[in-house]
Amino acid sequence: MAIRKKVKSSTIVMYVFLILLLLLSIVPFYLVVINSTHSSFDIVTKLNLLPGKSMGENYTTMQSHVNIWKGFLNSLLIAVPYTAFTGYFGALTAFGFAKYRFKGRNILFGVVLASMMIPAQVSIIGFYQLNLKLHLLNSYIPFAITGISNATAVFFLRGIIEQSIPNSMMEAARLEGCSEFMIFNRIVLPCVTPGVATMCIFNFVSCWNNYIGPLIIMTDSEKYTMPVMIAMIKGLYLTNYGAMYLAITISIVPIIIVYCFFSKYIINGLTVGAEK
Amino acid sequence: MKKALVLAAMAAAMVLPMSALAEEKTLEIWSSGEELGRFVEGFNEIYPDVKVNITVVPNADFLAKLTPTLANGQGAPDIFTGESDYVKYLVDSGFWEDLSADPYNVGEYTDDIWDYVTSVGSDASGAVRALSWQASPGSIMYRRDIAKEVLGTDAPEEVGAMLNSNEALLEVAAKMKENGIKMFASWQDILNMEFSNREQPWVVDDTLVIDDAMLEFMDMAKDIAENGYDLNVDPWAPEWSAAVESEDTFCYVLPSWGYQFVVKPAADKTVGQWAMCEGPVPYVKGGTWLGIYKDSENKDIAWDFLKYCCCDSEAQQAYAKEYGEYVSLKSADEVLAAGEGEEVLGGQNPFEFYNGQMEKKPSDLMTGYDGQINTVFLSATKDYATGILSKEEAIEQFKEDVATAYAELTVD
Amino acid sequence: MLPKTGKKKKLKNRENSGLVFISPFFLVFAVFGLYPVIYTIYLSFYKWDGLAPSVFIGIKNFHRLLTDKVFFLSVWNTFRIWVCNFIPQMLLALVLSAIFTFNKLKGMKFFRAAYYLPNLITAASVGLLFNLLFDGDKSVVNYILTILKVPGAPFQFFNSGIFTTGLVSYIQCWMWFGYTTVIIMAGITAIDSSVYDAAMVDGASKMQTYIYITMPLIKPTLVYMMITSIIGGMQLFDVPATLTNGLGDPRKSILTTSMYLYNQGFKSHNYGYASAISVGLFVIIAILSIFSFRAMQNKGGTQDGN
Repeated sequence: MAIRKKVKSSTIVMYVFLILLLLLSIVPFYLVVINSTHSSFDIVTKLNLLPGKSMGENYTTMQSHVNIWKGFLNSLLIAVPYTAFTGYFGALTAFGFAKYRFKGRNILFGVVLASMMIPAQVSIIGFYQLNLKLHLLNSYIPFAITGISNATAVFFLRGIIEQSIPNSMMEAARLEGCSEFMIFNRIVLPCVTPGVATMCIFNFVSCWNNYIGPLIIMTDSEKYTMPVMIAMIKGLYLTNYGAMYLAITISIVPIIIVYCFFSKYIINGLTVGAEK
Repeated sequence: MKKALVLAAMAAAMVLPMSALAEEKTLEIWSSGEELGRFVEGFNEIYPDVKVNITVVPNADFLAKLTPTLANGQGAPDIFTGESDYVKYLVDSGFWEDLSADPYNVGEYTDDIWDYVTSVGSDASGAVRALSWQASPGSIMYRRDIAKEVLGTDAPEEVGAMLNSNEALLEVAAKMKENGIKMFASWQDILNMEFSNREQPWVVDDTLVIDDAMLEFMDMAKDIAENGYDLNVDPWAPEWSAAVESEDTFCYVLPSWGYQFVVKPAADKTVGQWAMCEGPVPYVKGGTWLGIYKDSENKDIAWDFLKYCCCDSEAQQAYAKEYGEYVSLKSADEVLAAGEGEEVLGGQNPFEFYNGQMEKKPSDLMTGYDGQINTVFLSATKDYATGILSKEEAIEQFKEDVATAYAELTVD
Repeated sequence: MLPKTGKKKKLKNRENSGLVFISPFFLVFAVFGLYPVIYTIYLSFYKWDGLAPSVFIGIKNFHRLLTDKVFFLSVWNTFRIWVCNFIPQMLLALVLSAIFTFNKLKGMKFFRAAYYLPNLITAASVGLLFNLLFDGDKSVVNYILTILKVPGAPFQFFNSGIFTTGLVSYIQCWMWFGYTTVIIMAGITAIDSSVYDAAMVDGASKMQTYIYITMPLIKPTLVYMMITSIIGGMQLFDVPATLTNGLGDPRKSILTTSMYLYNQGFKSHNYGYASAISVGLFVIIAILSIFSFRAMQNKGGTQDGN
């Protein structure tokens, strides 16, 4: 009896803890969505907890400033290939670092890490100059293609591969006549799907939210991405918060879809691991 | 013979619009605000074959976007704007065309433009580099109902007379406090007005100058903060914005854009309860200037557009009528001053009031360093006002911050 | 003899295929990543206001950097904010991942996804939200405190450096703990589950299993978290930049190094010095990363078999 009671109370404590954190996480998010249905004046002057009636008005304001759906499309055109590149090439590069002992391996990996350490604020001027020289202003390429050189993904997946792919597994594949590249595609990649999916989610989000890069490289406002458009809606003196929140809400939707899509693979990965 | 001429003329008439069509030009403009776009329709009625493409760049990152393009000499637009925080930096940089020279000869128009608009847009040599379609005269915007109750009158002249010096402002503030009313939304707004009490700008000959008026403002801020004469928030904070509709806040010290973007759009219950009067000193603050990029390939149409927005009285009248914004041409403002008053202001005509302010020629004393200096000055003043630093310490901190922000300035 | 060298050669070839696999990364990095970095380093030796021609001034910018109190203050601020958010964030994530790993919870997927939500809200809305909560005598929090008759209320929250720094750390922790949880769980998922069976047979409690079996096994993931958190944390910019006036008020208590270099560049128009700060920050991040990498390597040295 006593033991059962104890177990129960610890479960209750656990759930209380989880639900508390849940509230902390959801409330602000809820407020953003709720605010998208309120007028700007209401938003800056009080805490709104229930839906308002200004959503249609906010939509009109938003569309009068920017074509949000065009921005939506632009962001997708950048973020989707970026994410795909990040997942595939991140794993490939990580595999190269984790499982092969070539010369200069450590130095090169140091370069990968160092590439994350330069603050972006000033180097954006150099980035503009570079794309000007390459005739890539107003192009999605500089953003989409850099998914190939995503250091975060490499760093993370290197750890995962070291941890979950035993050398014996690769040897066995070699004996069966697999080439090194085939080993990657047929054995390593499926095994590290949960890790790749995790990286895909986060890098999709960070690419989707990238603001300063597209703002500076795109000189044609037709090419602006979602975050740039959201900043444009806000206005100089007149702050269109209602329209801004509506745009933020719209911009969160694809992230949630992407999250749901990839989290399936995270769970699948778990069962693969369990069967082993 | 005559017939042939007519035919030729007809042919020409037919060919001309066609060739114009073939040569349709695109004018690229980067603007930190969307207001400029309101001129495009009217402009296209006169210049139908120019396509005006305005890109609104969020103001906070305007320079971040502009700098790389100017630095590399490629990708810059034909016209770009400059906000009051950094307009002087752009004016002095020489990246804007000299409008005083041929073929622009802006001198023909400047008589009708309010002085400070031209002087802010002029570089050290006096050449005009940029102009604005706006002018931003200052005011104290107060609540009529509260004025009647506490001061016994709501007439702008009479209220203005009670607020004609800094001491008078504080006296009225004390009276308001007795009645449970906050005099100001934020003391920080007052700085814009106090700038006009200065004899010298922040920087003279690359040296920081702290004018006595600024030292006096620091004490005034402390007075207000200690006595609780304001809402104790920064401008643009939620509570500051909400004060438009509050029961117990008397006034905003803000220039014309404050009426346009703070009071007017938010007033609902308080429509008709607002009025404007002059404070201790007439002042001007803010605005958006525009200039033509020096390497633009479309200088002719860029000038047509700039002239249309900033020098065409009819265009400005139409604009001011529709949007209620105070404009930079005297003649346009005079026409509007003769019109009806504003409902929000209980029938007061803001144009008439602003014209009176502008005629007193408030000084601007802007420098290219103001953006940062103003911010660090407010920050230091706040520390003094809230009792964290003594006045000497606050001034010391201010000097240090200026020296950090602009290493090239002499600070002593 | 001969076959042996042949084998060696083959082995060497095989190891070099690693080079082939990492080459796309470095190719793209060489084109798009390297130039901006080199350009920043180049600029750090110049005086340039962004518009007038730049002037070579040697190491003057670095000389100034080494004597710049504000720079060091900003580094300290950034580091402090990072430590104060990293420790609770990591603990929270470890606890959560332990809960999720060892308990068959209803709605685990939902919880995990929901914890990630704060990360999706832009810094600008976070700034506005917390201003509504704390700024001014009538703010939500002050309103509640006044009703509860808390002595001293209403408080001037944003006049307190300690409060504001704490708030930034809290926001950072709140925005990232869900992310960290997901990452750690991805590490745990990659563990061969047969390891656990052995532990369970030995009669280890869940807690013991987690600390002694799981944690050492996910060390690469923990190292990853630590290093990327330092790198990201030391470049912290948007939350503190939007929370107050962009100068890190009150009294520069939340002025981070990235904010400082942004202000030097795009506000004071001193791009050369801003570049020097970038380089300085880079060096500091590199040192911190190497330091913590070493520290973590030593700590679990015995487990680091291969």
